[in-house]
Amino acid sequence: MSKYMVLKMSVSNMIETKDLTKQFNGFTAVDHINISVKEGEIFGLLGPNGAGKTTTISMLITLLRPTEGTATVAGYDVKKDPDKVRKHIGVVFQDTSIDRYLTGYENMWLHGKLYNIPSNELKTRIKELLEFVELWDKKDVELRKYSGGMIRRLEIARGLLHTPDVLFLDEPTLGLDPHTRAHIWDYIKKLKKEKNMTILLTTHYMDEADKLCDRIAIIDHGKIIAEGTPEELKSSLGGDVIYLKLHNGPTSYRQFMQTLRQTNFNGTFTGVSGGTLTLTVKSATKTIPELFDIALKAGVKIEEIRYTKPTLDDVFLKLTGRKLRPESGDAISFMKDRMRLRFSRRGFHR
Amino acid sequence: MSSHSFNTIYAMWYRQIIRFSRNKSRVIGTIIQPLLWIFFFGIGFSRMLSSESTPTNLPSGVDYLTFLIPGIVMMTIFMASFMSGISIIWDRELGYLKEVLVAPASRKATIFGRTLGDATIAVLQGIVILLLVFPLTPTINLINLPFTLLYGFLMSISFAGIGIIIATKMRSMEGFQLIMNLIMMPLLFLSGVFYPPEVLPEWMRYAVFLNPLTYATDASRNLLLGFGSLPLWVDTIVLLVIASVFLVVAAIMFEKTSEG
Repeated sequence: MSKYMVLKMSVSNMIETKDLTKQFNGFTAVDHINISVKEGEIFGLLGPNGAGKTTTISMLITLLRPTEGTATVAGYDVKKDPDKVRKHIGVVFQDTSIDRYLTGYENMWLHGKLYNIPSNELKTRIKELLEFVELWDKKDVELRKYSGGMIRRLEIARGLLHTPDVLFLDEPTLGLDPHTRAHIWDYIKKLKKEKNMTILLTTHYMDEADKLCDRIAIIDHGKIIAEGTPEELKSSLGGDVIYLKLHNGPTSYRQFMQTLRQTNFNGTFTGVSGGTLTLTVKSATKTIPELFDIALKAGVKIEEIRYTKPTLDDVFLKLTGRKLRPESGDAISFMKDRMRLRFSRRGFHR
Repeated sequence: MSSHSFNTIYAMWYRQIIRFSRNKSRVIGTIIQPLLWIFFFGIGFSRMLSSESTPTNLPSGVDYLTFLIPGIVMMTIFMASFMSGISIIWDRELGYLKEVLVAPASRKATIFGRTLGDATIAVLQGIVILLLVFPLTPTINLINLPFTLLYGFLMSISFAGIGIIIATKMRSMEGFQLIMNLIMMPLLFLSGVFYPPEVLPEWMRYAVFLNPLTYATDASRNLLLGFGSLPLWVDTIVLLVIASVFLVVAAIMFEKTSEG
């Protein structure tokens, strides 16, 4: 292979990690991760809170030094060339990282100066990007008066100001209401379509990963446990997913499972979570009547039954035996995220 | 200096200026506090310590209020710069620090710009106080005012630097108030702002001469009132050395703390 070929390969992969590892006092937060992200691709790191997503991003954006392994971003080594990496990436952090006492325009301007963008170019870029995220009419308002969604949009615009090669989005819609989330998703899709931007995003919302990402790596306890397109991951389950709730709790589950194993049941048992059995089958519509027969035979009562096409949540459940989130997108977890965000914003400036 | 470093310094300086101008309560607070000191301390003590009633260590013809005013101006600059320096802790707490750390800008330039901004704000506050109170002491030599501010500027760089150094060592916000009280009060009283260092016992004088505020206060009395505990050239050299040392140490500490 000629030298030219090698060079070309390394450039077409905008992010590449080799056994990337981070340990904190003996605790392994990220454990030999190998990912590669191609140019123009939206790559998702999907996993529960504490899985190591933010630690991974922190190493890629040069805020944390890897304990072991290497990573290149936009062709530069994060350990050897952190300044070059910084020049070529844009970052939207999980927690807000703007100055509340400055206006939208001033936050953008400050960023431009830190990235050494020439003044005349900076002016046109700021206007272009604030228009892109529909905040131009709010440019002279202090960020204290912005909503959470507006701040997120401003941060996305700011991350793009210096025309980075790769954009990192750490939980881009954490704590936002569903309407605003959809809005942010539109921008991310537009970025890919109009600017062919390479994006690495982390999320613990499976619908977010599903809707936005070309490829996904599922991460749990610092390890990548599956990787592929959302379609590939979902079809790896092999069909529809049936959720089954029985009357009378654990005893009836045992009886039901026993009978299920005795019969010629065509499907796999994926797990129990929150009192609900999950089964993966080829065709739910054909299997459901069978399940009623089995319940009858086992002498238990079915309280509730429903089925879905498989989601990434089911993929995660199958791989780990746990759910990605206790209840994805429900009111309580929404409130929790919201509270976290609010606490991270607390305090007053001096 | 590269244009990138210059832009960084300018941007970080400018940020401090805007932030200060936006924070109305901070502007008002920093002006009222020194005025209260002058009002309560100055009026009360100048009655008690007037040269007719009791012998003082002040040169003849200088009343306590006149003695106090240059000190209070320096105190204003000291408190403003120290608070401003230590407030970098809010940047970490509220996330802005990450934006700065992930930028390809020189971290030394970043912290240098910030310190300059802190010092500028502090000196501006000193000017406001001086303009408000100088009618009380007509003996002040106003021609030396710009030079006095220069010393105030050097001192404020030292304290902004010290504030930043402390902030890099603080891991939580709980210690914030404690440090303010535990460090600021002794620094204030061991500085010659309220009484000439000569009146203190010898062991206390050592502490006084370790304090940058002492030299700025002394320089301001040398310049505005024509007398001081030390010659002006000593004040100048000591302040120059202290300011450069703390600026460099702050830059090094900041660079260290930001590595993962």
